[in-house]
Amino acid sequence: MSALPSYAFGTARFRASDLLRGILLLPRNAVLAFLVVYRAIVSPMYGDVCRYYPSCSAYAVGAVQQHGAVWGTVLSAWRILRCNPWSKGGVDDVHSHAHFRYELTRRGFVVPARKEMNSGF
Amino acid sequence: MGSDLLLAATTPAAAAGGGTDFFSILLWPFKWIVETILVAWHWLFTAVGLGPGSGLTWVLSIIGLVIVIRAAVFPLFVKQIKSQRKMMEIAPQLKKVQEKYKGKRDQLSREAMSRETMALYKKHGTTPVSSCLPMLVQMPFLLGMFYTLRDVAAHAQAGVGGVGPLNAQLTKLFYDATLFGVAPLHIDLRSALETKPAGWEATATILIVLVVLMIASQFYTQLQIISKNLSPEAKTGQAYQMQKIMLYILPLGFIFSGVFFPLGVVLYWFVSNLWTMAQQFLVIREMPTPGSDAARHREERLAAKGKAINSEGKVVPMAVYEAEQQRLLEEAERAKAQAPKREQPMGKKRAKKKGSN
Repeated sequence: MSALPSYAFGTARFRASDLLRGILLLPRNAVLAFLVVYRAIVSPMYGDVCRYYPSCSAYAVGAVQQHGAVWGTVLSAWRILRCNPWSKGGVDDVHSHAHFRYELTRRGFVVPARKEMNSGF
Repeated sequence: MGSDLLLAATTPAAAAGGGTDFFSILLWPFKWIVETILVAWHWLFTAVGLGPGSGLTWVLSIIGLVIVIRAAVFPLFVKQIKSQRKMMEIAPQLKKVQEKYKGKRDQLSREAMSRETMALYKKHGTTPVSSCLPMLVQMPFLLGMFYTLRDVAAHAQAGVGGVGPLNAQLTKLFYDATLFGVAPLHIDLRSALETKPAGWEATATILIVLVVLMIASQFYTQLQIISKNLSPEAKTGQAYQMQKIMLYILPLGFIFSGVFFPLGVVLYWFVSNLWTMAQQFLVIREMPTPGSDAARHREERLAAKGKAINSEGKVVPMAVYEAEQQRLLEEAERAKAQAPKREQPMGKKRAKKKGSN
């Protein structure tokens, strides 16, 4: 398991009052939860295998945070296809969403932005 | 590759059904391929005279399936090993990067170090790691195997075939096939203990022995990699600590999930592990990670035979190696002598003054 890049974390917290607004974010947070489990349990078995920084699973975290469950998954799948023995690897960050309207928690989950402090990615 | 089956076990695999859930649909192409390979081997073994319903035929077909899938990803594996050899060329630059971040353990420094290291690998077209695709590409096939076997039980009872060439007749044959004449390939430990079919004691014993063998082979392979084939750099990270912990925790997880795996899947997994073990043994012996213990052992073995590894990573006689080292040393010294001495930096004003004279 390689560490997540710093842009995959935030300082926001989940507040119960955001529950309703957070429903839209449920799919991506579900995928993120899956990725957290995958990175904790499955990744260590493989050891360091990825040719890129951030590693494919870390890229997937960033992609899903920024672009949502569907497009994030597509981007991640494309990244995994690119991470083959013929690829050169290197640094390959996720393109951040042009209008990222949410905030990240310390564990990398996505929560609705607070109106007064709009310090999104 | 046990992780894949661990995933399989955590998915609602035990749920009965003819494979209409989301996961089954997603795995349709892989199930189709698995069935095709199984049936092709079955046809071949039947053609050479084995009984179409005998357990041996189906066991051999499962082994054949492992061989086909592992052989298919083998070229990827060789490609990776070849690119590792170039690692030696960039060792000095790699060391520079490591020196730069020595003792800095905060997250941002680690990140910057990873970035620089990766950029360096890319620049030189080499990397110590394999890449994700070959690892992950096997996962759906393992899951496909798991689902195919799970479905065989339901399909045989319903009298239908699978998604591909595994028709109703073959499904029935597969369902009835037994290992050593007692243990049905589709049975798992839990149902063997619950339903207690004829000869369940032998079935349970076979299953337990296979699960133990499977876990032991998995553990051994991982242990070999961790203890022998990691470079000193790889041994410093947090990932390494995690890997060491998982080495001991994962077998426990597999004991739990091994209870739910059908015999055929356990067999598949075990044979697959044997392949990995042999492959890893060869790699650790002949193509170890530069800088690892295994690499040192290889150098010692070669030195005992009067040979050494040259700067291109090829095995050459000791005399040739020493001549090359001598030449490299001379070249380095010449380059050092030729390199201009560093001059005291000059202020803009002084430089102008000097120029105007």
